[in-house]
Amino acid sequence: MSVNHFWTAFAFEPFMNALLIGLSVASVWLIAALGLAIVYGTMGVINMAHGEFVMLGAYSAFVLETVVGVPFLLCVPAAFVIVGLIGAAIERGLVRHLYKRPLDTLLATWGLSLVLIQGVRLILGPEPKNLQSPAWLNASLRVWVFELSWFRVFIFGVTIAAFVLTWWLLHRTRLGLMVRAVMQNKEMAAVHGIDAGKVFTLTFAYGAGLAGLAGSMFGAIKNVFPDMGSGYIVEAFLVVVVGGVGSLLGSLFSSIGLGEIYSVFAYFTNGTFAKFWLFLLVVIFLRFRPQGLFADAMARR
Amino acid sequence: MLELSNVTSYYGKTPIIQGMSLSVDKGDLLSVIGRNGVGKTTLAKTILGLTTRIDGTIRVNGADVSHMPSHRRAAQGLGYIPQGRGILPKFTVQENILLGTFARSDGAQTVPPLVLELFPYLAANLTKRAGTLSGGQAQQLAIARALATDPKLLILDEPTEGIQPNIVEQIQELVIRLNREMGLTVILIEQNVEFAQRAGNRFVILDKGAIAAQGPIDALTDELVQKHLTI
Repeated sequence: MSVNHFWTAFAFEPFMNALLIGLSVASVWLIAALGLAIVYGTMGVINMAHGEFVMLGAYSAFVLETVVGVPFLLCVPAAFVIVGLIGAAIERGLVRHLYKRPLDTLLATWGLSLVLIQGVRLILGPEPKNLQSPAWLNASLRVWVFELSWFRVFIFGVTIAAFVLTWWLLHRTRLGLMVRAVMQNKEMAAVHGIDAGKVFTLTFAYGAGLAGLAGSMFGAIKNVFPDMGSGYIVEAFLVVVVGGVGSLLGSLFSSIGLGEIYSVFAYFTNGTFAKFWLFLLVVIFLRFRPQGLFADAMARR
Repeated sequence: MLELSNVTSYYGKTPIIQGMSLSVDKGDLLSVIGRNGVGKTTLAKTILGLTTRIDGTIRVNGADVSHMPSHRRAAQGLGYIPQGRGILPKFTVQENILLGTFARSDGAQTVPPLVLELFPYLAANLTKRAGTLSGGQAQQLAIARALATDPKLLILDEPTEGIQPNIVEQIQELVIRLNREMGLTVILIEQNVEFAQRAGNRFVILDKGAIAAQGPIDALTDELVQKHLTI
């Protein structure tokens, strides 16, 4: 790239679109991060295999669509259920035994991610698969100066719905009361009749399900391949850490902030350089506010 | 109502309570006294299943709960008011009380009217964050939460510790009322011998993780107090 072409000059219409793309990027990062945020915030478990749950969601959708013939729009909720069940099994079989050893959870889930990647590669092959979405989703929507594909609008809508549903479950239901009680004080929750083990299984399954949901959509924007999860996990962690661990609202604001920063830098320079600046800014931010934007929601164990 | 036979209770690999046998009958108010660090709180935690493991057996209403996890013991009718109150600070007053309802066997999911009646301050401040309550209010909330479990046996761990003096008496009277008027069986862990004596109909003195003396409250003589409680 020549120096002359490195900087893009400001122009109203493309710049407005860059802001819009920022929101779209934010919704992708948020839906990728939501499950991670819930599992980390509630259980204190840093799930290194979260990206692989995204990948499993994409493959679930792919298999359902190409082998069973399920229409794409039904593959999305189905991926939530399938990966949710896988998550429940993994919590029962692996994560459960490591609650008192957080560092080992980190290693174990990382190992699990490698197993999942290689397992999928062995069974379904290393080559990228194509997940088909309906033609109308690939058309563009134009409003005033804004132009965006329907697919981006779809992801945006699903993310908002998932976010609102999660918030409602946590703050307006008895199940949510149980989760928040366990989050604050596991012993006190237990002596008042709450089965923390069950709550953890459900929470982990729900977090995994959200990752699966995200994956089914990501697979259709790009391709479906065994290590696609690693492409989302870094941004998902950024969203969670900048937002403040255990805070849903924090994740919402940090995803919007990070998405816009990325998109605006990408507009003036390019995607690679924008990532560089994004990471740099996050490092500086965390230097001054290591607890993130919304800090108080986590009970340290 | 509650029966411990030959119970040894461990934190990690360390036995804190050793070979303890104890029984509480329906309607009793058992005062558990002893110096700091003799295992009073551990006794409460042992009954609720919060220690690492136990040997021996614990029965609640005839049911063997020795190896039951805490959340299932709670459903057997054990109401617990821990030392330091154990209020969840980020919950509202109402959410803290509702926490108790998860242990109910009748499936009720609302704040019981009795609780609102007993604690007018809490009733008027249901939406307040529990973390902002004073020590006395928080103690009332802890009692309210335990009552919301519809308990048969109430375990109170130093309910008047660290509470402003004008509230102490209120809480003491409430504990006595819960036992005498409402017929709740109570285990009261206390440092204040005068109150333990006034409230209890039976007593247990703990020393070094074992029972040093027990009996009807009349048998709690100055001599025993002198021997096991003064430093």
